[in-house]
Amino acid sequence: MSVSYRRDFLKLCGLAGLGFAAPFRARGVDQPNEPYEGPYYVVFNASGGWDTTYLMDPKGIGGINRLYKEGDILTKGAHKFAPTRKHAQGGMSNEEFFAEFGGELLTFNGLDYSVNNHSPGARYMATGKLDSLAYPTFAALVAACRGSSCPLAFLTFGNYSATGNLVAMSRVPYLPSLKNIALADSIGGNPKAGYHDDFVLDRIEATLGANNEARRTQPRLPRAERGENMLYGAQVNSKALQRVVQYIPKNNPKERLSQQAEIALASFKAGVCVSANLSIGQFDSHANNDKDQMKLIPEFLAGIAYLVRRAADLGIRDLLVVVIQSEMGRTPDYNKGDGKDHWSIGSAMFLGRGIKGNRVLGATDEKQFAVPFDPKTQRIDRLNGDRIRPEHVHEALRELAGIADHPLAKKFPLGVSDERKLRGFWS
Amino acid sequence: MTAVAFLIAFSLFADESAKPRVRCAGVADDSFERDVWAKVGVAKCLTCHRNGGDAEKSAFLLTDPRKTADSARDAVMQGNRAAFAKMAAAKERDQPRMLLKAVGDLDHGGEQVLGKGSPEYRVLADFVRRVNGQSTKTPPAIDPKAPPFFHGVTMLDDRRVLRRATLSLAGRLPTDAEFAAVAKEGRSALPRLLDDLMKEDAFFDRLREGFNDVFLTLGVDGNPDQTCLSYEHFEKTRHWYAKHDLSHIKDKDKRQHEEWKIAREYREALLGEPMKLIEHIVRHDRPFTEIVTADYIMVSPYTARGYGMFDEVKGKFKNPNDPFEYAPVKLKALKGRGKQENQDSATGFYPHAGILSTFQYLTRYPTTETNRNRLRARMFYLHFLGVDVLELAARVSDAAAATAKYKTPTMEAAECVVCHKTLDPVSGLFQDYWRFAEQGVYGKRKGGWFADMFGAGFEGEDLPPKERWRSLQWLGERTARDPRFAVAMTEHVYYILTGRKVLLPPKDFDDSLYAARLRAYSEQRKQTEAIAARFANTGFNLKQVFKDWIVSDFYRVDGLATEATEPCRRAELDDVGIVRLLAPEQLERKVTAIFGEPWGKLQEHTAMLYGGIDSKEVTDRAADPSGAMGAIQRAISNDVACKHTARDFASPGAKRKLFPRIEPEVLPGASPDDDRRIREQISFLHERILGRHDDPGSAEVTRTFDLFAGIVNDAKGRKGIEGRETYHCRPHDKDDPGASADDKRYTIRAWRGVVTYLLRRPEFLYE
Repeated sequence: MSVSYRRDFLKLCGLAGLGFAAPFRARGVDQPNEPYEGPYYVVFNASGGWDTTYLMDPKGIGGINRLYKEGDILTKGAHKFAPTRKHAQGGMSNEEFFAEFGGELLTFNGLDYSVNNHSPGARYMATGKLDSLAYPTFAALVAACRGSSCPLAFLTFGNYSATGNLVAMSRVPYLPSLKNIALADSIGGNPKAGYHDDFVLDRIEATLGANNEARRTQPRLPRAERGENMLYGAQVNSKALQRVVQYIPKNNPKERLSQQAEIALASFKAGVCVSANLSIGQFDSHANNDKDQMKLIPEFLAGIAYLVRRAADLGIRDLLVVVIQSEMGRTPDYNKGDGKDHWSIGSAMFLGRGIKGNRVLGATDEKQFAVPFDPKTQRIDRLNGDRIRPEHVHEALRELAGIADHPLAKKFPLGVSDERKLRGFWS
Repeated sequence: MTAVAFLIAFSLFADESAKPRVRCAGVADDSFERDVWAKVGVAKCLTCHRNGGDAEKSAFLLTDPRKTADSARDAVMQGNRAAFAKMAAAKERDQPRMLLKAVGDLDHGGEQVLGKGSPEYRVLADFVRRVNGQSTKTPPAIDPKAPPFFHGVTMLDDRRVLRRATLSLAGRLPTDAEFAAVAKEGRSALPRLLDDLMKEDAFFDRLREGFNDVFLTLGVDGNPDQTCLSYEHFEKTRHWYAKHDLSHIKDKDKRQHEEWKIAREYREALLGEPMKLIEHIVRHDRPFTEIVTADYIMVSPYTARGYGMFDEVKGKFKNPNDPFEYAPVKLKALKGRGKQENQDSATGFYPHAGILSTFQYLTRYPTTETNRNRLRARMFYLHFLGVDVLELAARVSDAAAATAKYKTPTMEAAECVVCHKTLDPVSGLFQDYWRFAEQGVYGKRKGGWFADMFGAGFEGEDLPPKERWRSLQWLGERTARDPRFAVAMTEHVYYILTGRKVLLPPKDFDDSLYAARLRAYSEQRKQTEAIAARFANTGFNLKQVFKDWIVSDFYRVDGLATEATEPCRRAELDDVGIVRLLAPEQLERKVTAIFGEPWGKLQEHTAMLYGGIDSKEVTDRAADPSGAMGAIQRAISNDVACKHTARDFASPGAKRKLFPRIEPEVLPGASPDDDRRIREQISFLHERILGRHDDPGSAEVTRTFDLFAGIVNDAKGRKGIEGRETYHCRPHDKDDPGASADDKRYTIRAWRGVVTYLLRRPEFLYE
C-alpha cells in the first residue's frame, strides 16, 4: 500500500466511521487479497464405483476378470496393475499411467468403504464421516483452513461437496464465464471504462466496511453472522478474480476432466483457489462392466495425467496434492448382464507434495476381501490388524495438509483414536 | 490468515462478551424419548421390530410415532416405552436379554446392531439398569427457569413480514393498500393478504420453481418428446411439429425458424406438465394429496398433439394455439405398436396417480436391469414421505462379507434386509414401467418381475394381484393416508420459503452440544408437525401451509435482542432465521420489483456461477456466496445503479421509483433543510431497496448520508471531472428531457454510488 494510498484510505475509514483497528482494514479498498501459493489439493472422483481389479488391485483369478489372467498382471516398481493397453477405448492405459506416475504414486488397497450404496458411500469417502450430513468434504475443509478468503477457495465439479458452512463452494461450469465477471467494476469488462470514478468506489467499499463493522457490534443470530461475514468476504475477495483472466487458455480441451482441470489450474495459478473436486460419472457398470470400465478408467487416468502435466507447464506441479478415489468398488463376480454390482471394498491412490511414491500399502485377498492392516507398522496383519475405513484416510489427509489441529478441523472430529491412526502413511 | 478470513473465523469462535447473554435451556426429563428412543429405538430397532418389518413376529413390537396422528403420539410412545421396559426386564443366563440381543447374541435376527461399549449401547444399558432398579444415574432434571426457545430473539414487525412474504412468493413489493391493511389490523391481516397474493400468477411461477427444486422434473435428459413419449406408444404423434402445417409462411428460412420455435415450446411445455399439475391443484384449492392421487395430467395444446389427443381436448383451451395454456385431461390406456405393448387397464384409461405416474417423473428417475426401480422407490420415499432411506445408512461390520455370504443378501442378510424390506416392495409397484434409456416408460419385464426381491406392496401390505394394473394409484392412495405425507409436504414448503431443509435429529450422542441441537430439532419438528396436522385437518390445502409457516416464529425471526454467546445457546439458534442468499431467479425478480425491470444477465453460465441449478447434475443451490458470486454482486450493483439512477431522475418526481423526494440540485451541507431532505430520501431508499425502516436521523441513514456527502465533496476538489453523468449510465432515449444527464455538482453520480452501495448490502442480497 503506497503512502498516499494509505493516507487516503485512513481518511476514508475515518469518514466512514470505521475504526482503524477494524479487522478488515487491510483490505476492501482496491487491494485484492494476497495470492494463495499452495499446496493445491485436487480430489479426483470416479463417480459410480470403479472396478479396482482393472486398475491398481489386479486379480485375474476366480473369474474376477475376463480381460486378463493372473499371469498377465504387470508391475512397475512396487505397483502391480491390470494390463489395459489392448482394451482401453481412448484415454490412457494403465501401462502408460504407471510408467509415468508410478514413481510418485501411493496406492492403498483393501479400503473398506463399509457401505454398498452410492449416496452414503460418496459422502463417506468425501468427508470421512458416514453418519452425518454436516461434515465438510476434505477439499472444503482444507480450503477453509488454508485460504477461505480466496474467491474460489473450493471449486467443485460434482460429487458430494458439502462444506460444513465453513467456506463457499464455487461451481465454474465454463472458464470464459469468469472473464465476464472478473472486471465487475468496469463497463463491459473494459478496465479503462469504470462504472464509478475511483474515489467513489473507494467510498463505497469503505462504507460497506463500516457497515459490516457496525453490524459486528450488534447482537446477531449465528446464521446472520455467518451470512453477513461470508457475503462481505466474497465481495471484497472477488477483486482477486482479476488475476485469473491471464490464465484462461485460448483453446479449451474437449475432454471432461481436462476442462475441469484447466479451470482448477487457472484458479490455482492465479492464487484464488485452494482445492478442487474433479469428477466424472458413469462408472456404475451394472451392465457390461468390462466395456464401461475400459472406457472410463482410461479417460479418468488421462484426466489425472492432464492435470499433472499442465501443472508442470504452469510451474506448480510440485505444489499439487492429488487424491484419486471412488465411492465403492465392483463385485468380484459378474452378474447376468456381464456387469458387476456394488462392492464395499476398494482402493485409493495419492500423489504429490509430501507423499512418497512407488509404494503400495494394504491388500485384498484372492476373493477381493479386505485384509486387516496394522496402522502403526503399515503392514498387513490378518490376525490383529484393523479394517481401514475412510475416516482413517481422512485423518491422515488432515495431517498431511497440516490441518489436523486446526480449530475448524476439530469441529468435525473423525473419531479415530491415536493408536488407530495411520502412522507414517505418507512417507 | 487474511483479515476477512479472520473475521469469519472470529465470528465462529467468539464467545466472550460483556453484554447480557441469552442462556440455553436445561433439558427436560424426557429421557426415554430423548435418549433410548431417539438414539436406539428409531435408529436401530424400529426398522425391523414393527408391523411389516423383518421382526414383526417377535415379542418386541414397536410403533412408529411419525406415522401416527398427532393426538395419538403420546399413547404410542407410552406403548413403545412399555415394550422396551418389558424387554429390558427379561433375563437370559442372568444377563439382560435386551443387551444380549443388541450385540447379536441369542441368535438375534438382526445380528449385531450395537457395538458393545458404543454410546448407543451405553444408553440402552443405562435404561436396562434403571428398569431393573439398579441405576444410580438421575436423568437430567427439568430446569424450572428454562426460557422459551425464542427468548431474546426479535421478530420482524408485520410490515416487514409482509414485504418478505410478498417478495418471496409474488416477486413484487407490497402495495400501499396492503401496507395500510397491516398497519390497521396487524398480523391478523396477513392470512387474508396472503390469500389474495396466492391468487397471482407470479405466485404460481414461484410455486412451480420451488417444487421443481424438490422434484427436479425439469431435469429430464434429452429431448422430452423422445424420452418421455415413447416410440412404442406415440411414434405417430410425438413429432407432430415436423408435419405441422406452416405453409402460410412463404419464406423458407422463416418457416424453418417457426418450426424450431414450435418444437422448442412444445418440449418446454411437455417438461412443465408435472409442475403445472401442482399449480392446478393449488390454484383451485384442491387437496394437495392429488399430487399422488390425481386421475388426470395437465396438457397444453402442443403437448396434447404429442399425445395424439388434441382434437378430443381442444375445446378445453381458451386459445388452442397457446403452447403454455394447460388443462386437465385423462389419457387413454396406452396402445403399443404390438399387442404386447398395450397397457392393462380396467377402465380403458391410463391409471394416473398424480406426479408419480407422469412420464416426466418416471423418466427423470429411470431404472435399469440391476437397479430394479430402487431409485424410484427411494425417490418416492424422499419426495412424498420425507424419508431418505440412504441418508444415514448404518455402517456394517463387513458389508462385503454379508454380500458374499448370502445368495440374495437383500432378502437374507439382516443388515441389507433392514432397508430392502421397505424399499423393494415399492420398487415392485413400478414394475410395469420397465423401459430403459430412450426406450420409453411403460412396459413389462420379460419373464415377469424379479423373484429375488420382496414382493410388490407398501409398508407391509401386499399389492393384490387385481390391483396391479393400477399399482401406482394403489400406492398413491396409501401415501395420501400416511401421516408422513402431510409432514413431508410441510417440509417442502419450509424448503421453498427458506432455501434449506428442516433439521435432522442430531446423531452424535457424545457431542457436548447434543442437548442443544436436539432442542433446536425438537422445536422445529414440533412446529412442522403442528402445521402438518392443520394441513391434514383442513383438507390438505397447501396455501394453508404457506400461511402457517409465514406467521410462525421460525419465519418471522429477525435477530437477537441480546447477545447469545454461550456455545449451547448458539447451537440452539444455529439454524434460526431465514438469512437466505437469493437464488438467481429470485434476485432477478427482486431487481424487477424494485427497479421495474430485471438485470437480465443472471442466465445460463452466469446463473450457474451464481449458484443456480440445472435440475440434472447440479441440483442443490449454493447457500453461501463464493468470490465469483461476490463479483457478480458487484456487477449487478454497478450495472443496475447505472441503468436506473439518471433515468429515474429524468422522470417527473411523482413517477420516480427511487428518487421521489429529492432533486439533483439539493446539495449536502448547503442548509439544514437540504440535509433533512437528503436524509429523508435516503430513508426512502433504505426502505425500498433494503426493506429497512430507518429514521432519517439514525446511524444507518447517517452512514449513507456520509457516503453521499463524501462523494459530492470529493468530486468538488478533483480536476478533470466531467460535468455529465457517465455516457453508459445516461438515459438512452434521446428525446428524453433528462438524456443529457447534466451533473455538474456530481449529485447524480453520488446517488448512483448510494444505490450501488445499497445493492451490495446483505439486506438486499439475502432474504
